[in-house]
Formats: sequence, structure tokens, C-alpha cells
Amino acid sequence: MSELHVELKQMIIDVLDLEDIEIDEIIDDEPLFVEGLGLDSIDALEIGLALQKNYDIQLKSDSEETKEHFSSINSLVELVKTHREK
Amino acid sequence: MGILGRYNGDRWAVYHADAFEFLAIIFALWQLDRTACIPGDNRPATIDRLTARVDGFIGDFPGKAVPTADQTDSRTQDVSWRELKQNFLAIEIYTSGSTGEPKPISKTMRQLEEELQSLETLWPSEPEAVIATVTHQHLYGLTFRLFWPFCTGRTFSRNLCEYPEDILRQASGWDRFSLISSPTHLRRLNDSLSWDKIADGCQYVLSAAAPLDRRDSLAVGELLQAPVREIYGSSETGAIAWRMQKNEAADALWQSLPGVQLSATVEGTLRVDFAYSDSVDPLILPDKVTFTSVDFFSLLGRVDRIVKIEGKRVSLAAIEHALLENSTLVEDVKALTIERQRVETAVVIQLTAEGNRVLADQGRKALIKGFKSELANEFEAVVLPRRWRFTDQIPYNPQGKISLESLQLMFEKEPVIWPKIIHQSVDGAQLLMECVAPAELAYFKGHFEEQPILPGIVQVHWAEAYGRQFLPLTGRFIRLEVIKFQKVIVPDQVLTITLKYDSEKMKLTFKYESDAGVHSSGRVCFE
Repeated sequence: MSELHVELKQMIIDVLDLEDIEIDEIIDDEPLFVEGLGLDSIDALEIGLALQKNYDIQLKSDSEETKEHFSSINSLVELVKTHREK
Repeated sequence: MGILGRYNGDRWAVYHADAFEFLAIIFALWQLDRTACIPGDNRPATIDRLTARVDGFIGDFPGKAVPTADQTDSRTQDVSWRELKQNFLAIEIYTSGSTGEPKPISKTMRQLEEELQSLETLWPSEPEAVIATVTHQHLYGLTFRLFWPFCTGRTFSRNLCEYPEDILRQASGWDRFSLISSPTHLRRLNDSLSWDKIADGCQYVLSAAAPLDRRDSLAVGELLQAPVREIYGSSETGAIAWRMQKNEAADALWQSLPGVQLSATVEGTLRVDFAYSDSVDPLILPDKVTFTSVDFFSLLGRVDRIVKIEGKRVSLAAIEHALLENSTLVEDVKALTIERQRVETAVVIQLTAEGNRVLADQGRKALIKGFKSELANEFEAVVLPRRWRFTDQIPYNPQGKISLESLQLMFEKEPVIWPKIIHQSVDGAQLLMECVAPAELAYFKGHFEEQPILPGIVQVHWAEAYGRQFLPLTGRFIRLEVIKFQKVIVPDQVLTITLKYDSEKMKLTFKYESDAGVHSSGRVCFE
């Protein structure tokens, strides 16, 4: 687990006020929504906001692409990394 | 229409994510004298329930719908449109009833038309594009983002805006637009996006589904440079009242829409009479109200156990029922709402012996996951309980009632009473601490409602507490000297706190600073 993985997991736990879940219990490639972590559409909005605030990332693409970015911790890590390289 | 004409049946369930396709299906049904039954979602339990009420499914119902999308039918071009009858049952929608069972509500063509006329009287339409963050599968979206724009010749967007960025993208394609939204999105409009690029074109913002906080309403008005109109209504009545927040200390009052007469019943709930229609009985809504004058009122919450989570109506009884009925693990259960970062549902469960075995064997997480996936068949994800407590005994009071407070206590979060420390260094008798005064600090609550600031006494208290923790400070507090509070400390302010302790004089000097300069300073004396 990279530092960024830990950072993003902590961000998710904090901004969503999640209960009963530790950083090492969020699995890198598990879906964040529905199964897996079981997040909902409001959580997606909150994560979008947090990405903007913490990493200055704007969700540019269409919703399909956003869904792709939000599919797991790994894909969020990729999103942040790509954004940093720009 | 040609395709639908081949199937029999007067009542059809319609679900489609594309607003344009959806409207085309509705019109085809109406031309065939058929009723469109419009569910709020297409999850399995919804489809099961609908099966008994409809003759067929059109649109996005996996495995259930009649095939339409992949066929082109040339005959549709020859259709001669006919006028629809006023008393024709145009749509049927569903809402949570207090028993937990969804309640069907049907609307005639006339009711739909009267509602649009009322809106058009108050706010005459002008050419613009209508974009939305709310689905047309609920009455609010159906009326405001489809029927109204369509009937007044305005453009409407096929696709929903899911994120604030989508609003920016969709709106930037139009010179003039209006935004149909709800508190869910409006309270989360990211203010660091470049809203100024589209603000010029924004004619107005509509919000419904739940009351919008005054602060959020004013913030949105500022960002989009447009009036924020709030609509109050229900699936039963359609839109019946509106308000617009002003920069005042109290919430604006609600006032009725043209053609709607509102009054309070003796029980203090809201009575709705439709001036235009003699055929529609007055309706009583289970919302508590208080009228300040004939036309103006405020809303005081519901009288039953239906709650709104992010604008979605859900019956707490239905959640309890679903958990009790579907499981041999649950002895007793109470559902409630709690306010954390958002308002959410939570449950307290008393397990059966079997349930306790599962809890011991598989653990809390597995048990909750099982319950949740069961509930997910029936409820939208947003309203699912986010917090679960297992207890040996649901806390009944001596009268045999459950006190809501004792349940709420089980979900109380430890209050935040310290700053978030970013960095600290101690050098002899001096402490340098970089920290943030987080917005969730308990001290900001109610101090003050409009403009939260960190109370001076807290700053002194922190100074003393950190002095005792990190510096050789001992002794008993006797007095304060040269205390100065120069600048207020606001939520999320980044601060540098400097503490110096003079052991000889037994005095602690403190200073709170930020980029903005010195916020406060003073001495605390001990003996």
C-alpha cells in the first residue's frame, strides 16, 4: 500500500464519516460503491468535493469516466497520480 | 407507439434514464389512452411490486421490458395526434406511505395541466435551457424538468447532472439556462469551481424535495448570481408553495402558489384546497405548519414516521418491518434518524439467540453487511442505515415507550474540543504549535449561528492545557493579565500558537497568530 493509498483511504473515512472501518480494511481493488465498501451517490458527491479541495482535481470527463475513476481505491490513486504529473 | 400498439394493457411501467426517450414513451402511452406508471427506481423489489399493478414494462427494466429501443417503426410518422381527455389518468407515481408500503398516487391530465398553469402564472417562462440534478422518475423532476419546459417550448437536457462539474459543463453550452436541483446538490456546489463562467446565463435555480438551509440558499444565489426559488409540495399534491430566502436573520416564510389555498387543520397539519378543481378533494398533509398570516406559513416537520434523507422519502417503519420480516436474527428493531455530517438513518437492533450466535461467529461487519444487502433490494442506497447498534434490550421507558433520546445517545459522537495539531516543537520553556481550529469544533456550535467564531475563553483554556502538557507549568490558576482578543478565529483557520512559561513569575504568555496577523494574546498567572 503506497502512501497515497493510505492518504486517500483516510480521506474517504474522514469525509464520509464512516464507522466500523479501518484503513487496512479498505481493499485496494474492491469496488467502492454498492458491493465492497457500499457507498452511495451522496458519498460520490462528497468524494468529488474532497478531491477538488485536497488535490485540486476537477471531474472533467463525462459521468462514465468519473464512474471509472471512482470504481476503487486503485483507480482513485491513478487519478491523483495522473493529475500530479500534468 | 406502433410497437406498443401491438401489446394489450392499459397500465405500463416506465423507467428510462434519458429524459427525451422517457418523454417519447409517455406520449406514446397517452396517445394510446394508457396510464404511465412511474416508479422512482428500477430495483428488484420495486419491479416485483409493480408486476401486480401493471400490464407491462417499458424502458430500462432488465429482462422485463418489451423490446422497443432497437426497432424503428416507420408507421409512427403517420400518427395523427389527438387531444387528450381532461379526466384521463395520465400518470401513477409512488411514495412511501406511513405503513411502509409504497402508496400509489394517480394524476389526471387536468391536474398536470393545472399545476403547470399555476407555475406559469407566477413565473412566466422565457426561452432558456433547463438542466437538472434531479431525476424525472419523481414528480418534482417530472414536472419541472420535463413537462413544464416541454409545454412552454423550452429546451431541456436529456441527461442528469450528477456532479457539480456536470452542471458547469452542461450550462456552458447555453446563453440562458435554469437549474432544477435539490438541497443534495445545492449544499455541495463546490465553490472553488469557476461558476462565474456560467453565472451570467443563469436565470434562476429551483430547489425542492427538502427545505434548503438559508445559508446554502444564499451561497448558491451568490455563486450563480440568480434567484434561488424553493418549492414545497408532495407527490400527493404536486407543487403547492414557494419561498425565496433573503439576507435576514430568520428563514423566509412559505407562500402558496396561484390556484392553491392552504390552511392549518385543528391538529396543526396542512390542508390543501385546489381553487381550480371542484373534482379534487382537499388533501391533508402530515406536515406540521404554523401560519403567520393568511398566506404565509412555516413548516415544523412531519407528524408521522416518514423522514427525508437527502430529499428522499423513507418510512422508518418500513425499514424496521423489512429487518424484522426478512430475518430470523432480529428480535426487535428501532430505526431513527441522526444528524452527523449529514442526516442519515440508523438502527438499533436486539438480536435473537441465533442472531447473537452469528454476531459472535462472523462478527459485526459481516452481520451488518448481510442486513444491508437485504435492505438494498427494497431501498435506495442513500436511505440505508449507515450506523448500526446491537443491544441486549431496546431501551423502553417505564411507560413502555421507547425514548428517542436514549436511542440517539447510542450514536453520539465524541465532541471535538481540541485543535488539529499539524506540527509542534518545544524549546525549553517555549512551545510553538501549528494547528487548525477545525469547523467541527463543539465550540463553534451556536457561537454564533450566523458567524461561528472561537470563544476567547477556549483560547485561554487551550493555552493553559497545552502549557500543562508540554511546559513545566504547575500551580493553580489565579488570574488573567493583559488579555487582548484582536481578530476573530473562524472555522478551519490555520493558527500558530506560541506559549512561553516564566517559572519564576509563574506566568504563562500566549499568542495566537495566523497569516492575518495576531488574533489574541495575554498572560495566565498561577500560584
